[in-house]
Amino acid sequence: MSKREGQKTIFEFNRYLNKRVRVKFNGGREVTGILKGHDQVCNLVLDDTEEYRRDPDDPFKLLNETRQLGLVVARGTAVMLVSPVEGMEEISNPFVNVAES
Amino acid sequence: MVLPLNLLRTAQNQPMMVELKNGETYSGVLANCDTFMNLQMRDVICTSRDGDRFWKIAEVNIRGNNIKYLRLPDEVIDMVKEEQKKEARQAAKGRGRGRGRGAPAGRGRGEMKGFGGRGRG
Repeated sequence: MSKREGQKTIFEFNRYLNKRVRVKFNGGREVTGILKGHDQVCNLVLDDTEEYRRDPDDPFKLLNETRQLGLVVARGTAVMLVSPVEGMEEISNPFVNVAES
Repeated sequence: MVLPLNLLRTAQNQPMMVELKNGETYSGVLANCDTFMNLQMRDVICTSRDGDRFWKIAEVNIRGNNIKYLRLPDEVIDMVKEEQKKEARQAAKGRGRGRGRGAPAGRGRGEMKGFGGRGRG
């Protein structure tokens, strides 16, 4: 087990250090925060973290409200996805022309 | 035999669609992958699980344990076969040169088992 965990992953989180990243968690939580540190197993240290509130009826639906969490250690096993906030935007359906095929 | 992770490795720089366990899909170009099936993708379009919201994301890192399935272009399967042939040839060459070193390399691939045995005997 420990041998396998010591294996290198492709994640290059060093590139995101001190930048704002969006992190999605197992179970639907989503936060953005400034990446301060990380380790081999994807544990992350995030500063100035903001969590996106979710619809109480549908925990997978995000609202635009946020709540401040501050300094956070995100557990690697619960992390699902990490992406830089820069270069991320909501768009209209890009598949409308492709959808028929 | 086509191994899933070999296929994925061959599919680097190809467009693909990934569905996560939570139902979100990510369509983009695979930049990198590893043995955990962790993916790094570029120029991604994320679709929410109900399919009515979309995001454009420059770069995403997906943890392999959350993947439900991936859709790849059909050509990749041919590319994988080419690559396997190439590797088999190279392995055969290696066995010819150094007897000691060739054997373990051959054992790594299932169908090569027979050859390794003959070479040593």
